[in-house]
Amino acid sequence: MQVQVLSARFDIPDAHKIEVAKENGAYSTLEKVFSMQPEEVIELVKSSGLRGRGGAGFPTGLKWSFLPKDIDKPVYLAVNSDESEPATFKDRYILVKDPHMLIEGIIICCYAIKSNAAYIYIRGEYTTQVKALQAAIDEAYEAGYLGDTINGRDYKLDITVHRGAGAYVCGEETALLESIEGKKGQPRSKPPFPAVEGLYGCPTIINNVQSIASLPFILTNGADAYKAYGTEKSPGTHLFGISGLVNKPGMYELPLGLPILEVIEKVAGGVRDGHKLKGIIPGGSSTPVILPDEAEDLTLDYESMAAHKTMFGSGGIVVLDDTVDMVKLVENLIYFYHHESCGQCTPCREGLGWMLKIVKKIIRGEGEVADIDLLLELCDNIEMKTVCVLSAACTMSTRSYLNKFRHEFEAYVNGGASTQTAM
Amino acid sequence: MADKVKLFVNGQEVEVESGKNLIDAIGAVGIEIPHLCYHPALGADGNCRMCLVGIEDGRPPIVPACKTKAAEGMKVLLDADHIKKIQHDVMELELINHPIDCPICDQAGECKLQDYYMKYDGQKSRMTVKPVMKAKKLDFGAGVVHDQERCILCARCVRFTRQITKTGELGIVNRTDYARVNIFPGRPLANRYALNVVDLCPVGAMTSSDFRFKQRAWFLTKSPSICQGCSKGCNIFIDHNREKYKDDVIYRYRPRLNEKVNGYFICDEGRMTYKAENDNRLTTGIVSGKETGLSEAVEATRRLISEAKKTVFLVSPNNTLEQMYAIKAFAAEAGAALSGFSDGYIQEGDADGYLIQDDKSANRASFELLGIEGSKDGFDKAVADADLVISFNNDLSKSLAEADLNALLEKAQLVYIGTSLGTCASKAAVALPIASYSEDCGSLINIDQVLQQFAVAVVKNEPAANLIEVVQQLGGSVAGVKEARAGLMESVAALKDVNLEEVPEEGIALTDNEVSNVAA
Repeated sequence: MQVQVLSARFDIPDAHKIEVAKENGAYSTLEKVFSMQPEEVIELVKSSGLRGRGGAGFPTGLKWSFLPKDIDKPVYLAVNSDESEPATFKDRYILVKDPHMLIEGIIICCYAIKSNAAYIYIRGEYTTQVKALQAAIDEAYEAGYLGDTINGRDYKLDITVHRGAGAYVCGEETALLESIEGKKGQPRSKPPFPAVEGLYGCPTIINNVQSIASLPFILTNGADAYKAYGTEKSPGTHLFGISGLVNKPGMYELPLGLPILEVIEKVAGGVRDGHKLKGIIPGGSSTPVILPDEAEDLTLDYESMAAHKTMFGSGGIVVLDDTVDMVKLVENLIYFYHHESCGQCTPCREGLGWMLKIVKKIIRGEGEVADIDLLLELCDNIEMKTVCVLSAACTMSTRSYLNKFRHEFEAYVNGGASTQTAM
Repeated sequence: MADKVKLFVNGQEVEVESGKNLIDAIGAVGIEIPHLCYHPALGADGNCRMCLVGIEDGRPPIVPACKTKAAEGMKVLLDADHIKKIQHDVMELELINHPIDCPICDQAGECKLQDYYMKYDGQKSRMTVKPVMKAKKLDFGAGVVHDQERCILCARCVRFTRQITKTGELGIVNRTDYARVNIFPGRPLANRYALNVVDLCPVGAMTSSDFRFKQRAWFLTKSPSICQGCSKGCNIFIDHNREKYKDDVIYRYRPRLNEKVNGYFICDEGRMTYKAENDNRLTTGIVSGKETGLSEAVEATRRLISEAKKTVFLVSPNNTLEQMYAIKAFAAEAGAALSGFSDGYIQEGDADGYLIQDDKSANRASFELLGIEGSKDGFDKAVADADLVISFNNDLSKSLAEADLNALLEKAQLVYIGTSLGTCASKAAVALPIASYSEDCGSLINIDQVLQQFAVAVVKNEPAANLIEVVQQLGGSVAGVKEARAGLMESVAALKDVNLEEVPEEGIALTDNEVSNVAA
């Protein structure tokens, strides 16, 4: 089931070094790119059907085409490498194992959107990754792929690596921009959207690492080659991070559209012997949980996920077996989102803390049935009332556990405290 | 005239100004959209979420009104159930960690949380878990005391120090419900407008160390007036109260909006000038060091005038236009010389290009209008052969060194008709108490030639006579403010087209164009 499109050079020793990467095809597509008009590159990416791999799945080429025409301001690219959603661990492989694929993708993107400056916003905790990335960027400058000329072409491009300071919310596009500008990482109200008014007030495109890293393959092999993978509406491949209580957790590159249960069984080795599948978090902690019987016809693509009232997200699949205490899992979940709320908007700032305290109260055995209903109501009261969707990430997932595992919450309320673990 | 657009609020068509956000545009026609973080002087931030309104057929269907411009044909929903629920829910969330210590909170009675709770929430607390505990009574400097628990993180104060004073002392530290407003360690509020954050705070999180715990807001009478701390003429409210068995006392000044003069703010020095209205006041006549009634002091003064070979009337740049007119008329009648010497009221280099001016007097511009000469030379010439100087609330000790003042008083006697005790009152042969501006009324012209009027705010248990009355008792011919105004309109060319009996609240700019505009 596994494929090697993005991970083609992952197994090659020293592929993070520029000479090894070049021997294996890195930067080979630049001449072709430069022979095209920027608009043609955008069209090609559009026709490949590539969708944003940060979680929202917005078509990448379409996003680029939102840049205003005839602008006299500089255009920026900000590459979102703030990979912080719990259960998501895909971009870090690219950063360490094949950073030149990302750099080549940045050159392609910047050429297409006519930008001379790209920022890579990398999560502060990624110390190994930032070293590998910076070393690769230094190599690329040395080799003439970055700087005043690119591969001998009269085209200037600089890449600046900006390290975050430990805030999940800075993965939100506009909080990311605020953070690059040196401000407190808080999402901005939209409109204006970054494509019109982004970094330093200039038009800015923000793309996920994996989206950008997909560009060299698409430009080298064409849109059809990319569309040969995946489904019609969700083409291509994805780096799936499979974690949780499976026999072979890890990062696997798979085409989109595969049945999730089959992937868990055949790729990740299935749940441990003697245990039963209890639930699946399909795409990072913010995506609503799926029950085993709901997962029967669930496939790993945007459309199937939406049809099952959950989200494809970041491809971080968490497998939960019968040892998992869902109430404690929810406590853990809310703890995270409460801790990471920027504190700007009233509902998120005040509401998530309240929800956390109610769940803790339930776990202490002091809860009532009314508290479960209050939690559900608070999910409604908080959701989509805020500048960004951080609180919605918490409430949409929390609501799914409250609805699908209500009996576990009631068991706590009725004095039947669980002996299960929180994962 | 600004462009108008027609839009619908709850299905009803209203015509509003275009280009404004929904809060201001719809608010101008009397429909309130609740909001906590938005302030017209600080712009929209969008953090409180209280102003979320529905837009029928809109994308997105729910928007923050503070960030949404009024547009033709827009269908704004305010009283739809889902919008009312949002207002209710946001209020609940604002209050879960709020201490609700209204009984000991200075803001009670003028608190947006209280008002909005009554209007938009009104439900019992569902908080059964411990609220977030934060720090209280933090000294932020400049007389500002902060209570982090009451704070709703609207960031108005933070934006004020960033956008208005550009000093940036305040910030919000930490995230989530640990977020709090704070100063940087060891760097307190250090700007001359800091106390405006107390007015800006929609709740009781920012309190003034000068005012806190002194009065309940609902007992205060809030009288509009003009600050007389400098020549800017900022518009203020005089908040005062007569407690049972006590006298009418001023507790604070607060800024009053006047787009043409001071906008929404005032400086801290001006704000504190209220103390001089309460304290250290001259309340009795003084003749030869002995306290007397006013009539004895008036009698003594009349005698001094009749005996004097040459008298100089010393006008104060704080006298109102009407007072100056009455004094000038009296000077002509009594054959006295007239001087407005008051160099000591000017603090060279103190102005900051915003509100604070060098000239710490309120009405020097009227000198020019009435031809009152204020130079040191003119004063020296006038007093050279004088044996009597009558100060009309001009504190000469500000403008003359002590030795010079003493030398002057060796050859001339001083009559001080004034509001306050101090050097002049103690050195004067006769001192007469008068009403200060908070107890009086009149017109002032500020440094930008804007003529404004203020009315009587405070009425003391034993009101002092106003200056024009005293001038009349001394022999002056102007009977009162009304007569002074009539005389001014008749005799002063610049006021020919100004109706001093009907000066609009925002004042009249005395430039050629403006006067003709107003007259039309």
